[in-house]
Amino acid sequence: MNKNSNTYIIIYSTVMVVVVAILLAVAALSLQDLQYKNELNEKKTNILQALGAAEGADFDQLVKAYVVENGQQTETPAEDVFNMMKTNKDLRDNYKAGKLFLFKDNEGRVVIPMVGMGLWGDIWGYIALEQDMNTVAGIVMAHKGETPGLGAEIATPKHQDLYRGKTIFEGDEFVGVTLRKGGAQNPAHEVDAISGGTKTSDGVSAMIKDCVGAYVSVLKASPATDAVEPCAEACCAAQQTECETNNVENNE
Amino acid sequence: MSNKNLKYLTGPFSANNPVIVQILGICSALAVTVKLEPAIVMALSVTAVTAFSNLVMSLLRNGLPSRIRIIVQLVVIATLVILVDQVLKAFVYDVSKQLSVYVGLIITNCIVMGRVEAFALGNGPWASFLDGIGNGLGYGLILVIVAFFRELLGSGTLFGFPVLENDWFNLYACGYSNMGLMLFPPMALIIVGCIIWIHRSRNKDLQEK
Repeated sequence: MNKNSNTYIIIYSTVMVVVVAILLAVAALSLQDLQYKNELNEKKTNILQALGAAEGADFDQLVKAYVVENGQQTETPAEDVFNMMKTNKDLRDNYKAGKLFLFKDNEGRVVIPMVGMGLWGDIWGYIALEQDMNTVAGIVMAHKGETPGLGAEIATPKHQDLYRGKTIFEGDEFVGVTLRKGGAQNPAHEVDAISGGTKTSDGVSAMIKDCVGAYVSVLKASPATDAVEPCAEACCAAQQTECETNNVENNE
Repeated sequence: MSNKNLKYLTGPFSANNPVIVQILGICSALAVTVKLEPAIVMALSVTAVTAFSNLVMSLLRNGLPSRIRIIVQLVVIATLVILVDQVLKAFVYDVSKQLSVYVGLIITNCIVMGRVEAFALGNGPWASFLDGIGNGLGYGLILVIVAFFRELLGSGTLFGFPVLENDWFNLYACGYSNMGLMLFPPMALIIVGCIIWIHRSRNKDLQEK
């Protein structure tokens, strides 16, 4: 048989493609559950990280998930909420449709899932707010393909630590947290942008503004009762000392 | 195992090493060698891909239409890489995240296609399989050596455990600090260069006149 005849080549490639397709489909389907479990675990860990929870903390005990629609908060099993925000696209679509997801821990702090655009692709993350619904308790961010050493720095703890203690409201007005090129000037609402990562930094600012901005009415409606005030103050005080110690270190 | 087959397996460790002698697969050696753990997972992944792509192509070699030879090779290699990627995502998710795009880029790793073209298409399945394992491990060996130095000097850890400070001694207290430059890709090239230098100086027949 002529191995270089067109008929032979066409049959050969058809058979090859079908075999490969079956093989990959079987592999993808059989590993899907395990992979999904890993992704779910990662989301839970990220939320706990944003809250600054101790390692090994139990997500299901600490955190409750809510769906917010038309100002109505409905408690929903976390698994279902994660299912609704399975991919960045799902999350984005839900934002557009006005369906918001909110995680609350047992101390009344909230975590908001975010999604935005960096320079090369999606960026996403979770931002945690203290009981006052104003102070950032922590942030965790990840990216699809930002430049290593430049934009990719947003995923490092060093950068994410900068956000802690920033406030997202100026008086009654929502301002978010902005990454400023050349260094933060307003210590309350700004952090240093990443040198060489301007587009990514702008993307992060926009992500915080858009995503957290969508929750403004929810945050304002949340019962920031007097009972939690002292703690919030204590937290702020603790953060200030932290800042001061940092400054001292920097000056050295 | 015959002597000849043994040579297929062990040759790539030193005298015919894919990275430092054949100079293949340098790019991923730069990217995944910041820490030992991803380097080892990468080495095992590449070994699996080279071994099985060599085996499959060697089995297919007699019925293979030479006009679409390269396409068939790419399909086989790509399939294996996707399988490896899926398995890593399912069982070692953290490492798979660290390796990120580089697992997918095994497809373009010159070692894989280089060995298929140069060896598997002209040799039997068993010899090809051994050659694939040998080349994968030879590549992995260099990766591990580079990652060892980069992790030790760059982060002061090995497999994530701090080795320069413990209960008995603390090097940092004596004024030592980690070499941040080690974490950047150029240092991998410099370490590979040093390895090649030492290797050549000990193997006279590899030295160019």
